[in-house]
Amino acid sequence: MLEFMDYVQTAFHAQSRWNIDNSYAALTTTAQNLLDFRIPQGLRLHVSSLSSPSFATSYTLGSNGLVDGSLSFLYSSSGLSIASKSSDIRLEHLVRGYRRLQELQRPDELHWNEIWHQGKRIDRKDALLYGRLYLPGSTLEALYLRRISPTRMLRLSGVSDASLPNGGSALALLQNDYGKYSTEYLYSTDSALLGLRGLYNFGYDPRTLVSQQPQHSTRAPAHPWDHQSGRLSAGAEAYFSPINKSGGVSCGLRFTTLPTHTGFPYTMTLTVNPLMGNLSTTYAVQAGRYMALCSRFDFNVYSYESDVVVGVELWRRKQAAADVAWASKLVRPGWSKVVEDDVNGVLKAQMDDKGKVGLLWECRVKELLVSLGAGFDLKKRERMLGSVGIEVSYSS
Amino acid sequence: MAFNFNWSPLIADTDRVRDMLTSSLNKSPKPPIIVDDIIVNELNLGSTPPELEILEIGDLAEDRFRGIFKMSYTGDAYLTLKTRVQANPLNTYLSTKPSFASPQPLAASSGLTIPLQITLSDIRLSGFVILVFSKQKGITLVFRNDPLESLKVSSTFDSIPFVRDYLQKTIESQLRVLFMEDLPAIIHRLSLRMFSPEYQTAENQEPSKAGADGEVPVDPFAGPAEQPVDSAGMPLDGSAPFTLDAPTETYASFSQKNLLRLATLTESQRTLSLFTPSMRDTVYRAWASAADREVANGASTPMLNKPPTLSRIQSTLGSQGGWSSAASQTSDAPSALTRPSLASFSSAPTVYSLSSGAPRTRPGRKRKNRVVNLRKDKGDGKDASDTASVSSSGYTASASGSAGPSVEAATEPSSLPSAQLMREGEINTPPRSPKKKVGFQQQSVDDTTRLPRNESTIRGRPVTPQTRHASHLQEAGDNDATPRASMILPEKPDIEEKRSQRPRRQPLPRMQTLPDRPRPAQLHRSSSSEVSLQNLATSAFAGEGSNGGILEQAWMMKMATEIARKVAEEKGKQAAWRPTADGNDGFGLGGAGGEAPPAYVS
Repeated sequence: MLEFMDYVQTAFHAQSRWNIDNSYAALTTTAQNLLDFRIPQGLRLHVSSLSSPSFATSYTLGSNGLVDGSLSFLYSSSGLSIASKSSDIRLEHLVRGYRRLQELQRPDELHWNEIWHQGKRIDRKDALLYGRLYLPGSTLEALYLRRISPTRMLRLSGVSDASLPNGGSALALLQNDYGKYSTEYLYSTDSALLGLRGLYNFGYDPRTLVSQQPQHSTRAPAHPWDHQSGRLSAGAEAYFSPINKSGGVSCGLRFTTLPTHTGFPYTMTLTVNPLMGNLSTTYAVQAGRYMALCSRFDFNVYSYESDVVVGVELWRRKQAAADVAWASKLVRPGWSKVVEDDVNGVLKAQMDDKGKVGLLWECRVKELLVSLGAGFDLKKRERMLGSVGIEVSYSS
Repeated sequence: MAFNFNWSPLIADTDRVRDMLTSSLNKSPKPPIIVDDIIVNELNLGSTPPELEILEIGDLAEDRFRGIFKMSYTGDAYLTLKTRVQANPLNTYLSTKPSFASPQPLAASSGLTIPLQITLSDIRLSGFVILVFSKQKGITLVFRNDPLESLKVSSTFDSIPFVRDYLQKTIESQLRVLFMEDLPAIIHRLSLRMFSPEYQTAENQEPSKAGADGEVPVDPFAGPAEQPVDSAGMPLDGSAPFTLDAPTETYASFSQKNLLRLATLTESQRTLSLFTPSMRDTVYRAWASAADREVANGASTPMLNKPPTLSRIQSTLGSQGGWSSAASQTSDAPSALTRPSLASFSSAPTVYSLSSGAPRTRPGRKRKNRVVNLRKDKGDGKDASDTASVSSSGYTASASGSAGPSVEAATEPSSLPSAQLMREGEINTPPRSPKKKVGFQQQSVDDTTRLPRNESTIRGRPVTPQTRHASHLQEAGDNDATPRASMILPEKPDIEEKRSQRPRRQPLPRMQTLPDRPRPAQLHRSSSSEVSLQNLATSAFAGEGSNGGILEQAWMMKMATEIARKVAEEKGKQAAWRPTADGNDGFGLGGAGGEAPPAYVS
């Protein structure tokens, strides 16, 4: 489940019209959501509040060690009009599952953001400030986002901790998103790491269609790979550290179906690390409205190590109220129903070939959002249950 | 001294060493580049043992050994380690950083683990090592300097020169740390497991239980074990056996008589009995400090009266004193060993007792009479106190590493009660011993002939000088004729009177409540105390046998007269004298000398 602050941050991205999926780092988001979900450890309590459209606070209390916790504050220059009460937030927004990608949008024009008042431009760039202090560990995290232009965003993040070398590190990330392709440049002060990422989307270029709405179904394929209801993307990343004289390279490929696809939406990815000889392939499918399946296969051509992980996500439907059940049966199937929120729980499970099983149950109980997690190790006969955790979250 | 290394048992039992090395290598947090445990694959100690050159031996006993060696090893031992390392540097770098400010690459930090095997061979060691072996505490081996000279590292990455050089450099530095810090702990634990049953596991303890719970009867005339043995007496494997060709014959440490006397001593302390058994072959701490004072006061020709036949043992004692000093200088850890070792030295039955009266030959010494003799005919307490004070002074003197003579001086008095007890053959009863002492003092009358006489006395009856010495100390220094039961330290010789009369006699300083008084030169026979002294002297002297001689008797008479004179002097001062418990002495003066027996008999 997304924490409240992450939920607010995604709302900021959505409000400032930034597509977080159009980046090489988000190539395998679906598989990560379905297979690498975080299982809570111990007991944790979150209390959060969106006290004003621009300001959010969150406090957490956990049982890691004796007692640990954190305070976090967030400020957004643009007011966020989102549902913040824990009883109102849609569970789909909080629980990351199968990521259904939308059509590529043409990036906004620069002048669209201008707001004039009395002859002066009074629009300001969207910015977000976020800080989190962990206690008693005395670790400070800070984040600054700024939407420099509709196609550019700057992200500055830093961690300050006495136990880290040099007291901490900072990361600067400049992201450019031009619709058809996107690039990222990053620099980390820790060992002066320089990084570069790029993603290219095959298919039509949304910038070319200016005047009319893109009609995907009637558009002629521009080239043989132009799958109408799917999108193929390719990307690469490279890192280099002059201090360590080390670096890393990887490249990836992704094919995902678009909403116009008839049949079950699916996503396939392939990532390769040529230096280390690592191959990783994933396949995720949304088999129905309330279920998604995913599998991943890792292989190393040098050491012949391999891994298989399978995961499933099941949504629990809300039981219709008894007094209106007869009415909902009479609704004709063709009539579209505005479904407000018909799920009240989700079960996630993942299992790998080494006998490790992870279970996560997230639901809403009255006004609280509860997530229960457990990790098993089936290979160990005597101590199968590894870790159990529960997280309770309340926001207002 | 030569060391014979039986190197083959070391090769045989390397399983335990391998396990201990593996666990100690994996105990400390590993760097992130090592993803798996470090396992010791093979450990071969080679065919040639290290060469040891003895620099110093600080402690030597049946169950104790301490020495400094110069070690050099040019053998063919090798060690093979096996582990897995992470080949992706980005992975190791990012795994230790917090994820909030991390670039979070998609696949560039995926890991690749490579198995690695490292062989360390051609080890050249050269350095100074302190080896301490104790049956109770095991073996401790400490390097004084960095012993590693060179090392050859070969691994699975030998074909890549960059990695090979990096591995060589890193492993060399780690090995230096291992030799200086980890190896002593490993050897200590290994030796503890071999030696003491409580450290062994249950299954290992089975054979040791057969050895009567570690109490093997000690053969009094057996030399030190040729091979390190565990508590069951079985030679332990995994340790190099060594032969010790010690110059001194160390005899059995346990004497039945001493054990009996120890039991009696504890009994007497528990039951408020006024009787304290004297213990032969013991060294007491107070004796050494008194001997030190004597040394400080400028003893002259302490070795004058040394019989030539005892020169060997004298040198032994001197070297032992040197050892103790070396022991105390070189290391703090085994300092505890020096103390019991000295006690064991003094427990050797005849070695020390034969040392002559070097402490007595200090003519210029001012005798400190610190023991007020309130009792006229108290027997064994005095004897015990003599023993106690003499022994303690001897102990402290040797512990401080003073010169040989002081050691002898200290240990001399130990033979005093032993001689008496040797004669008696039983635990002293209170009335008996002071008689002898007083009898000895009578010999002090005639000092001129004392010199050769003493020598003959020494030869004939080894402990006579001690007895005479201690008793004379007591008599001369006391207010009363009653010998003190508390510690009797060697008295400082009297300034003027005693210098000429007893040039050779080295009195042990005694703890007395009175300020330093020169010993009375002449013993007056006026008071009754002197009369009793005479009686005691005569009877004691008679108990001595034929070895006492006229000389000693005369000397004792002289001492008695001196004491009587002193008593007369002190009685004048004693009007305002009030019993004070001197912190040191612990005596309560019961008023005028000789009237109230002390209640403090220890």
